[in-house]
Amino acid sequence: MRILQRFLITSVLATLLGAGLLLQTLAHAADASRPQPAIENEQLYMFLRLNSPEQIAAFYEARGFPRDAIERLRRTCFVMAHVENRGREIVWLELENWRFIGASGEIRRLDRQHWGGVWDEIRLPQASRSTFGWTQLPEVRDLQPDEPVGGNMILPATEGPFTLEADFHTGRDKRKGMIRVRFTDLRCARDTPAP
Amino acid sequence: MTYPRMISGLLLIMLSTVLQATEPALPPGVMVMDGRPAPALRLENIDGEAYELAAARGHWVFVHFWASWCGPCRREMPTIARMMSTLGDGPLEVVMVNTAETEDEVFTFLAVVAPDVVPLMDTDGLVTEHWQPRGLPATFLVDPAGTLRYLALGGRAWDTAPYLALLSRLASPEPEQNPVNGAPP
Repeated sequence: MRILQRFLITSVLATLLGAGLLLQTLAHAADASRPQPAIENEQLYMFLRLNSPEQIAAFYEARGFPRDAIERLRRTCFVMAHVENRGREIVWLELENWRFIGASGEIRRLDRQHWGGVWDEIRLPQASRSTFGWTQLPEVRDLQPDEPVGGNMILPATEGPFTLEADFHTGRDKRKGMIRVRFTDLRCARDTPAP
Repeated sequence: MTYPRMISGLLLIMLSTVLQATEPALPPGVMVMDGRPAPALRLENIDGEAYELAAARGHWVFVHFWASWCGPCRREMPTIARMMSTLGDGPLEVVMVNTAETEDEVFTFLAVVAPDVVPLMDTDGLVTEHWQPRGLPATFLVDPAGTLRYLALGGRAWDTAPYLALLSRLASPEPEQNPVNGAPP
């Protein structure tokens, strides 16, 4: 019975997915006019995407996060980073060596410990905690050659431009040199005003 | 150290070098693990049937962690479906663990992308956290003795030649103990 039910639903889902993919493609086409901050060289490929509160809320709502959690997340600034080791040495992603700098100085990330406290306070279900955790950029990762990593960093909502300076040690023992990258003129994404 | 021991030690080193020189390299993004025992994996699949990894002793197991919201997982899943179809029923067991999603979320995705995949449901995400993958997606290759032997970093094109070659070797009727370079003894 269950298999038959799945078979019938599959065709409906295929149509919906097709429509979804089309909409996604159109959305990407619309976003293409805004350049995505990116750095690419022989050692590293890295890009950032700053998602609006609306986008973040939509993502976590779709994963069944409760309203309290969504409200807390909406008040922040999400910076998604993708980093890929393109070289032959280990590249060390260590968020303690990354700095967000705004007009008034360093902007401190809202780290996993911060969110652990928030989730305790609102009694976020374990499944949502797990999903939230996997959507965050790891604090430390010894990126092997050809290894990608992606995830979010969360800042307090910030007005005005800011800079990200990120240092990566290289080599198993971190003695093969340093890769330093800098993304300037970053801005927290805002919701699109309703028409 | 006695003289005979020294000679046998040297012979072992030479043999290991020869074996490493003749074995194929690992495909991109697959790393050798330290051979620690695989953590427990006891879950129900989406149809409510119980699964226990410990019962798979004696053959290789492809243990894959994924979630439908994760972009690389979505791109990788069709390659796993094709890999499963290419390898067919054999000694390599494929175990797909969904991390912390609901049955509806999983079904909505898989019904279109990989309808033959019947995932295990790690509904609270705790089994995934216990395994400590480096991120999602992640694939562990567990050897017949139940130890973690290889880890695939991020999403991989499992339906392409280098990965199929590795898995075919593991799934061969007489799997070698050290099928590729760098495998621990």
